[in-house]
Amino acid sequence: MTEPLSVGELDRVDYDIERGKIREFVRATFTTDPAHTDRDAAQAAGFADAPRPHPRRRRFATSATSKLVDTLGLALERVVVGSVKWTYLRTLIAGDHVVGTRRIVDDVQREGKRGGSMRIVTLETEYVDTDGDPVVRLEEVLIERGEQR
Amino acid sequence: MRAPVKAHIGTVADTRVIGPITQTDIVRFAGAGGDFNPLHHDPEFVANIRGPWMVIAMGQMQADPGRLASDTFGVEHVRSFGSRSACRPVRDTLTVGGTITAITDTDGETRADLDLVVSGSKRDRLSPVRQRSSSPGA
Repeated sequence: MTEPLSVGELDRVDYDIERGKIREFVRATFTTDPAHTDRDAAQAAGFADAPRPHPRRRRFATSATSKLVDTLGLALERVVVGSVKWTYLRTLIAGDHVVGTRRIVDDVQREGKRGGSMRIVTLETEYVDTDGDPVVRLEEVLIERGEQR
Repeated sequence: MRAPVKAHIGTVADTRVIGPITQTDIVRFAGAGGDFNPLHHDPEFVANIRGPWMVIAMGQMQADPGRLASDTFGVEHVRSFGSRSACRPVRDTLTVGGTITAITDTDGETRADLDLVVSGSKRDRLSPVRQRSSSPGA
């Protein structure tokens, strides 16, 4: 069995919020608010530039999956994402640059309802802007089912 | 910032029907979000894994039609979002609807809890997706 991990950083991503990417994303997600794609509509809504739709998917560092395995010792084929919760502290706009740092905040074993033990790992990512102010927080709960016998 | 929309407990009038979701929609979403798991676009890969699977849309793809919340209430007014997803097969049509379940005063703002449900049209073993998000009422 893997030793429970102490609280620590897991990975870090940083990226620019880009107008073209916002447009692409808005189309892919059937978003209709014209403020995201039309500069006049964005300004009329009070934004200095196109607002980014709030993130609902985390952007992984390229090494994130192997780090999850190496650092947490998770068996990915037995892992499901139990839940995700995003908290938006401000609306990001094109031109913003964010840095997101993911930490392990909890790592516990729990007995499953149908027998066998589950491991529940909680990860928190805090994204900050170039001023260092937090803009978005993400909590992810990963569940690793016990090995089948 | 746009003025907050007035919110009342009960069903949100705005609903949305999306689809049938095509393979192109899935590929566009993969490119926009960077999810290149072959389960979502490669029938040959899917055929080679166990079970009677077909190409399925990303779980989060149904969360995104939940943009209903930001489209209805304004992106700047959405404070949090959580979801649990089930996978939907390609060619499915999704219906998105919302109900405001609570209005509370939190951190000096009035916030509404919006329970969004995305349902698929295909009859299969997959269950509907439930989502929660909060946005200010007024």
